[in-house]
Amino acid sequence: MASQNMDPAAAAASSAAALKGSESGSSAARGSVTKRLQQELMTLMMSGDKGISAFPESDNLFKWIGTIDGAQGTVYEGLRYRLSLDFPAGYPYQAPRVRFVTPCFHPNVDDQGAICLDILKDKWSALYDVRSILLSVQSLLGEPNNDSPLNTAAAELWENQDAFRSHLHTTFQQ
Amino acid sequence: MEEMVVELNSGEPSAPGSDQGVAKAWESVTAALVSPGSSLSEQDRLNLALLCSHGLGRLLGVWLLESLQVRLSSSVVPEFWSGLEQPQDQLEERDRAGVLLSAFQTLLDRLDPFLSGLEQLGAWQAEGRCGLSGPGPGALQDRAFTTIRALLLFSPPTVLQQRVLEFYSRTFSVYMSREGGEDGPEVLEGPDGGACPGCRAPALHCWCPEALQRLQQLSLALSRLQLLEWVSAEAVTAILHRLIEQRMEQHCRGEYERSFLLDFQEWLELVLGWLGKVFATEGGGAAPVPMDPSVPSTPSACGSPVLKQWRCHMHQFFCRIYVNMRIEELFSIIRDFPESKPAIEDLKFCLERTNQRQQLLTSLKSAFESRLLHPGVHTSDILTVYISAIKALRELDPSMVILQVACQPIRKYLRTREDTVRQIVAGLTGDAEACSDLASELSRGDPVTLEMQDSDDEGNDPEDWAPDPTDAVPDKLGSKRRSSDIISLLVSIYGSKEIFIDEYRTVLADRLLHQLNYNTAREIRNVELLKLRFGESHMHYCEVMLKDMADSRRINSHIREEESKLSEEEQPPLALSAIVLSSEFWPTLKEEKLELPAAVCHAMEAYTRRYEKLKAMRTLSWKPHLGSVTLDLELEDRTLTNLTVSPFHAAIILHFQEKSSWTLEELSVKLGAPKELLHRKLALWQQQGVLREEAAGRYVVMETGATRDRLDRGVMLIDSDEERDSNTTTQSEQREEKLQLFWAYIQAMLTNLDSMTLERIHTMLRMFVATGPVVTEMDVNELEAFLQRKVREHQLIVSTGIYRLPKTS
Repeated sequence: MASQNMDPAAAAASSAAALKGSESGSSAARGSVTKRLQQELMTLMMSGDKGISAFPESDNLFKWIGTIDGAQGTVYEGLRYRLSLDFPAGYPYQAPRVRFVTPCFHPNVDDQGAICLDILKDKWSALYDVRSILLSVQSLLGEPNNDSPLNTAAAELWENQDAFRSHLHTTFQQ
Repeated sequence: MEEMVVELNSGEPSAPGSDQGVAKAWESVTAALVSPGSSLSEQDRLNLALLCSHGLGRLLGVWLLESLQVRLSSSVVPEFWSGLEQPQDQLEERDRAGVLLSAFQTLLDRLDPFLSGLEQLGAWQAEGRCGLSGPGPGALQDRAFTTIRALLLFSPPTVLQQRVLEFYSRTFSVYMSREGGEDGPEVLEGPDGGACPGCRAPALHCWCPEALQRLQQLSLALSRLQLLEWVSAEAVTAILHRLIEQRMEQHCRGEYERSFLLDFQEWLELVLGWLGKVFATEGGGAAPVPMDPSVPSTPSACGSPVLKQWRCHMHQFFCRIYVNMRIEELFSIIRDFPESKPAIEDLKFCLERTNQRQQLLTSLKSAFESRLLHPGVHTSDILTVYISAIKALRELDPSMVILQVACQPIRKYLRTREDTVRQIVAGLTGDAEACSDLASELSRGDPVTLEMQDSDDEGNDPEDWAPDPTDAVPDKLGSKRRSSDIISLLVSIYGSKEIFIDEYRTVLADRLLHQLNYNTAREIRNVELLKLRFGESHMHYCEVMLKDMADSRRINSHIREEESKLSEEEQPPLALSAIVLSSEFWPTLKEEKLELPAAVCHAMEAYTRRYEKLKAMRTLSWKPHLGSVTLDLELEDRTLTNLTVSPFHAAIILHFQEKSSWTLEELSVKLGAPKELLHRKLALWQQQGVLREEAAGRYVVMETGATRDRLDRGVMLIDSDEERDSNTTTQSEQREEKLQLFWAYIQAMLTNLDSMTLERIHTMLRMFVATGPVVTEMDVNELEAFLQRKVREHQLIVSTGIYRLPKTS
């Protein structure tokens, strides 16, 4: 599994650079990343998943805006969150940086919008794509990991779903 | 003349004595002048000298002309007309000819004294005798003839033309029947068989020689009076026109497979012989020149300038009439090409000599429009005619201008037909029975590569350059791009070869998927030929498709081999062969929902597993509905062997194996297919007498029943409504798919970026939608129309040019 996170092109050049994620990725590599992102966009468009969506912010294919609707049956139902997705040049061998743009009251999201999610950190794999990230974040909303909270207040309140909901909805701002 | 009269008046007082001598001398000289044949006596000579000394010599000519004019208008002209008209209609043609001749001869007789007098006087003047001076004989006679023409033909009654025409026509037929040998009767023989072919009179009363003689006499008389051109030209022109037309109608109309130029050349030379008689003058032409038809051209025989002129006229007539007729028939000629090639060559020859290109274009265009370009004509027929037109018109006009202009309507019309591309592609691959030319055109030796056309430096000699004809359509392409290559022309109907290549891919996919036997020899040949035309890179997809077929064959035999190594009980119950397609390179294949029976699914899974073992990291995604199944049906009283049916049909009948009676609903659930479709498919088995529909949508197997002999052999069972079905999606389906995809993108960008202008949406789509053979770019207008449609459907909101999605919650 570990080898999957290695950019073969970079690995051939220098193993040290591969670990760093080769910020100085050659233009050819960048071209293939573009292609990959374009393909992911296409997949996402064709998948027709409800409640998740993403699109490049401008003409820069490496910066996307994502949108997640709170899943039905969770306290987040009816709320819509914006995220930002930044793809490094070493993508998909490096995880994208994903943040909440809309303030999100959640045990695993800090007040800067940073998300604590294993697949965006050490469990990242080149097999994941934008769609799986968005789906993971969406399900994280309904099923927080309260063992290692970023927002302890939220983690404590989580036990009381009704209180959590009312706090969530009164503080929610777009 | 006026001036001279004044002089006369002024002259008289100068000789007030005007002695009798002068008057006498005048009398005598003038009498001598008008009396024919008399030479000048000594007395006259003296008289003449006397007159001249009195300054009256110059008046002689005036007097002569004056008296000619008086005589003409008072008696000769009325006599001529009454002589010509007098006998009314009760005369025979032969007699009318006599009357015509004698009228002119009388006219000549009456005027002869004056003419010879003038000649005489002219001669004196020329000699300068007795101090006589004047314009000379030529000028005097010219004046006289002008007077005669003016008085006689100022307003001739139609009877003259009629008579002349009749007479000339007759002499023509006489002449032709004598000189033309076999030619005359063919043209002129009427229903009265026994008649002389020349004069149409009963053989006993044939007056052919007489007619020819009279022709000669008439010509003489007319030329003496210098009336020949004036009287005959019109009649001769009319006759030539009529005869050429008549001959052409009889010989050439509808006959395109033979050249007529030489025939007519010979015939026209023959006619020239007759003209030689008509325009015979005392000088050269009177000697009849028997024209030998075997000598093609004898310029010396028609040496006189008049005849030369007529020769030109005749050729002009001929060309013009011929062109007129062929223009009328051009559509049929084109349709019959290449059999009609001689006609095209003739037409080309004549067209260069007349100014009728415009007429040809107009007529051909309207012929195309009225005979070809309407809904009743099959596209392949239009294409066939278009191809013929290309071939025929490039013969006719190597500058290709006629081709380009005349076929514009065809190209425009073909663009509106949906199946044009398909027909052309079918033609190219030799599938269409109608456009078989295309296949041979494709395999022709030196194909014009489509990209190569605009290369300038193909070594054309500048000396060979010719300006475009004036009717060329001024376009930016210029003449060098005016192609005559059939395939280039057809492909350029749509302006892009991509459309054709895509269509070819679709056709190729259909063919490969339908035959199911991995045999691609023919397709490989076609693809190679098309590569020569369209370039390697464009045919890349097709090459991959062909390679898929070859690979599939190998994979299949591999898997078969493995299976054969298995033990008896492990052998798969179904012999399954697969065609493995590289989905990226194939056209979009039709989807159809169909749940296959478990046995088949197991076989497929087993196959997939073996494939995965063979090709690591790859798997198969089955398209069961595209296959075909060969099966045997064992019923109680009969066995149907070797039936080839679609998987759908096979799946249906397989279910009847476990249970002999199913309702439509049950089957629909089992197969995962809509009932309507299922109902249609069941019809095949009903037709074959295998299933029977009972009440309430229940189907049962007919274990016993009327045996159908025709099922003994292996039969390909395909129900009729499926025959036209293609495995690949149609263009409109593709279009819908494309719009669907664009809509997904638009929704996503508006969801994430809130609101956007039309331009921004367009830019984003252009940037991020990966275009391929199916998804082509959308231009702004198309996009705007699409967005407006979505606005109308309330799926989109627009205000001040900014689009957003409606609030969902």
